[in-house]
Amino acid sequence: MNDSVIISDSTKRFRVVGTRPIRPDGIPKVTGRALYGADLKLPGMIYGKILRSPHAHARILSIDTSKAVALKGVKAVITAADLPEQKNEFIGPERVAVNFWHVTRNILAREKALYEGHAIAAVAAASASIAEEAVALIKVEYEVLPHVIDVDAAMAPDAPLLFEDMITRGVEPAPAKASNISKRLAFEMGDLAAGFAAADVVIERDFKTAAVHQAYIEPHACVAKVEADGQGEIWSSSQGHFQMRALTAQILGVKIGDLRVTPAEIGGGFGGKTVTYLEPVAALLSKKAGLPVRLQMTRDEVFKATGPTSGSSMWAKVGVTKDGKIVAADAVFKFQAGAFPGSPVMNACLCAYSPYDIPNARAVGYDVVSNRPKSAAYRAPGSPIGHFAVESVIDMCAKAIGMDPLDLRIKNVARIGTPTIAGPKHAHAGFAETLQALRNHPGYKAPLGPNQGRGVACGYWFNGGGESSATLQVNADGTVLVATGSPDIGGSRASMAIMAAETLGVDYNTVRAIVADTGSVGYTHVTGGSRVTFATGTAVVNATRTVVTDLIRRAAMIWDVDPEGVVWEDGYAKPAGSNVGDFKPLSLKELAAKAAATGGPITASAGVNAGGQAPGFAAQFCDLEVDPETGRVTILRFVAAQDVGRAIHPSYVEGQIQGGVVQGIGWALNEEYIYNAKGLLDNAGFLDYRCPVASDLPMIETILVEVPNPTHPYGAKGVGEANICPPMAAIAAAIEQATGKRMTELPMSPPRLLAALSA
Amino acid sequence: MIGDAPARVVFTSGFSKRYTNGVREFEVKAKNLRGMIRAMDTLFPGLGEHLEEETTVAINGELHETGYFQPVPAGAEVFFIPKIEGG
Repeated sequence: MNDSVIISDSTKRFRVVGTRPIRPDGIPKVTGRALYGADLKLPGMIYGKILRSPHAHARILSIDTSKAVALKGVKAVITAADLPEQKNEFIGPERVAVNFWHVTRNILAREKALYEGHAIAAVAAASASIAEEAVALIKVEYEVLPHVIDVDAAMAPDAPLLFEDMITRGVEPAPAKASNISKRLAFEMGDLAAGFAAADVVIERDFKTAAVHQAYIEPHACVAKVEADGQGEIWSSSQGHFQMRALTAQILGVKIGDLRVTPAEIGGGFGGKTVTYLEPVAALLSKKAGLPVRLQMTRDEVFKATGPTSGSSMWAKVGVTKDGKIVAADAVFKFQAGAFPGSPVMNACLCAYSPYDIPNARAVGYDVVSNRPKSAAYRAPGSPIGHFAVESVIDMCAKAIGMDPLDLRIKNVARIGTPTIAGPKHAHAGFAETLQALRNHPGYKAPLGPNQGRGVACGYWFNGGGESSATLQVNADGTVLVATGSPDIGGSRASMAIMAAETLGVDYNTVRAIVADTGSVGYTHVTGGSRVTFATGTAVVNATRTVVTDLIRRAAMIWDVDPEGVVWEDGYAKPAGSNVGDFKPLSLKELAAKAAATGGPITASAGVNAGGQAPGFAAQFCDLEVDPETGRVTILRFVAAQDVGRAIHPSYVEGQIQGGVVQGIGWALNEEYIYNAKGLLDNAGFLDYRCPVASDLPMIETILVEVPNPTHPYGAKGVGEANICPPMAAIAAAIEQATGKRMTELPMSPPRLLAALSA
Repeated sequence: MIGDAPARVVFTSGFSKRYTNGVREFEVKAKNLRGMIRAMDTLFPGLGEHLEEETTVAINGELHETGYFQPVPAGAEVFFIPKIEGG
């Protein structure tokens, strides 16, 4: 069922773009035949298992693997001592700086176990049960240390230190004393004091959010086969097989060219499968055993040892005039990084105010380590967290001045030329149109019943571009193969085939799109950042255009005319200019049949570093009902508007929006990591970690607002992430309308809400 | 923009503190980012590598990875900001 409304400001019409064909990976997936990371079985394959820390924080005094090695059926045992040491330095851009000294310690612990589930050693054996038995025979001597879980507690001067020598970066002069604060950063524009002085109403609040997991259905899994000469192959489920290859090569200290990585189908990632946990371990076990090794996580391991997004502690303050102009905003974001530095706090700083024209603003962020699994990217990493705080206070300001919260946002909307706190001015339109589309929705003014409330919030995400590759081949029968390096998580194969078909002017069913391995297509950055339809799509269109030029050249050769006298229209080479009427148009199929005679295989590749991506803006409202007896919240209606540029395949755009909203509802109402007094995770499974399921939810209504991006051949904008930013604040606002209580801590679960109602 | 007006180059305060003695704004004449990076590297030796490795660039608000080939229109506003990665 599709409830989406498409609002487009473009009169341009396409024959394939904007249609809803069946995705090429649909039938294998619904029939259970698609091959995921754990499905591959190679001849002679053996099974890996990882020993994990039972402690939140402990010094590793010794590891004795002798009994495991001696067990019959065990083929290899490794610890961190088998991995090369890495330099202790941050490399790469500040926002995503990587310190491989940390990365290798997250893959296999060295001096200390820093969280429950931290990998200590790994075994490969003839069967999974022997591997489990062997892991239990590894004797680890720990010195248990005091632990710290909460971000505010981790920042306290007397907190147990994860790294005794970590000095906060971004503070001048540098602190003399080590702490758990890895980094401080600050962004500011305008005159904050003057801005707040001009405000008629100033509201500030503290907020807390819980660490939440991406909760992809498929646990991490891979198979690795490394030969004696060091050449290796890896099959794994990830958001970027080129990324897995690069990270594995770095961790193992081998050449990138010695590894070939083939992507499996992926059962969800949402950012959490952009980092590696298993591939280097499986490869090393395989090398040592001389046999292929499969390594896969249990759900318990996924929760305890892979990265959720950060929990946070925040403060936000907003000033407005009585006629609704936001004149100043200030916020402090303290993010849990997990056991190693690297939370997405910078994104929270850069995104929180970006939907609006706020002349005076400041955002301060702290990246803080604690005894939790290292945080990983999760859908618009950092942005939903910051938006929860700032959007909540904006909503409170609207209520304080008696203004409709959507009208207040319309009054302050960012437009082309509005400065952002990072410095650049907005270069793309779309948010004003999105807000107006939501405002015009008939449900926005519909009456509400007792214990019901309506809330509004907005969100912003940069969207991504960058490096992508595509190769196009025309087969002898005129069918077309499009190969890209982007793992398909949200239906991108269908979108790639649509864009190639549109460019060629042929039927969608003529084109088959695949995800090729690292040896079969050029480098392509991860499927993340809402970049694939934009960047990889641009590569596909460029490669297709090159093929079209080649087809024109071949038709000209057949007709013995100049290529300038040939045009490509609707899937045919047609004579043009003085040649019109002289020749019968040649179809793609006819030209493909003449490929050998006209120069050989018809194929082209394109590599791009795509820039000019337009950001994503989302605006949403929800209606809900609170049960005052239990504190349970029922979502009655959820309407999500988003500027999508142009929907290449509208069903998958709607799916992205609906998925983001549902995850946001989970953040808002139920999802959280619950630790006990020993620093151990108490809810490492889907029975106790409560994700929303279909029976919890109404159909999420989508409004696709099409303000095309002029820098993409068909106007596409990234659509995967901005939609997860608003739900938490929208739900908090609706709960306040329903109950009179403003919730400032996530999740707003029944016990927490009931406690607030009883207070 | 008209003629060969120089571009206005802006860094974040953190970046400028690290690499340009706290100076955040410069005027640079260049046809493309390669020329701009070279010019900045002449002023602050080693800066070019940091720009290439650590930043995303916004040219008149349009975000790009910091590549040599990006044209810089006359009078453009060029912000070097921290590189962005998504989920």
